[in-house]
Amino acid sequence: MQGMNQPGLLDAPEAELSENLDLPWLVVVHNDPVNLMSYVAMVFRRIFGWTRERAERHMMEVHTKGRSVVWGGGREQAEHYVQQLHSFLLLATLEKSS
Amino acid sequence: MIFERSKNGNFRFSRIHPLLGELLQAIAIDPWERYPEGSMRLLPSPGQSEDLEDLRLDWQDHVQPGLRHHFDLERAVVSEDLACMIQRKGKIPSWTLEISPDHSDAWLTTLNALRLALAEEHRFTEKDLSGKMPSDLETERGLALMQVNFYAFIQECLLQAIEDESGV
Repeated sequence: MQGMNQPGLLDAPEAELSENLDLPWLVVVHNDPVNLMSYVAMVFRRIFGWTRERAERHMMEVHTKGRSVVWGGGREQAEHYVQQLHSFLLLATLEKSS
Repeated sequence: MIFERSKNGNFRFSRIHPLLGELLQAIAIDPWERYPEGSMRLLPSPGQSEDLEDLRLDWQDHVQPGLRHHFDLERAVVSEDLACMIQRKGKIPSWTLEISPDHSDAWLTTLNALRLALAEEHRFTEKDLSGKMPSDLETERGLALMQVNFYAFIQECLLQAIEDESGV
């Protein structure tokens, strides 16, 4: 893709966080050299309904660290998010939380 | 080339040089047909770990065909807009392209798909795409790099216009 606080679970809204504490699946977005930074931030805002600041924070994390955890929770919802991210052509994967 | 909002609210690119007009027309090509290797990038795996084997198979059978169909539909919208491009006669003929805001997602997706397929096909690195490397237009690779950068410019114009419209 042409520092941030801990993203993902720790960054989630309170209600979402408490609901997801014991659920082990993470949605991870990986860097690629082609997707535009502004495009990635727009996709995050569209899919997760984030503020511009939060979307840009995760976008920068993808860009600088190579990956960002953008969501954590149940597997079914995680698969749904990965599918949505793929529909916008972002490199996203599902991972089990360690 | 000039980018602006037209009176009817459409996104308008005007005074498009014939060479750039040709590059725009190339957006309508089927990336799976033209860049079969590079197009593998358009349908990535949902995960690499061993315990996701069932999900990978399910993805291949059910999700990826749906995604490909979605990309084809978006490309069809773009093709229709390209077919409506207007040519202005003159010493150097130029083209005008109008895109309805309702079509902007189709454009962003289609441009992105083609850029990703081109970049994968030619193994472009972050350094190649940084804009600091000169494009050698006498080679297929150089021409592809120019295409990727030109399409990125179109994407940036649309993204900025969408951002301005949302007023956020």
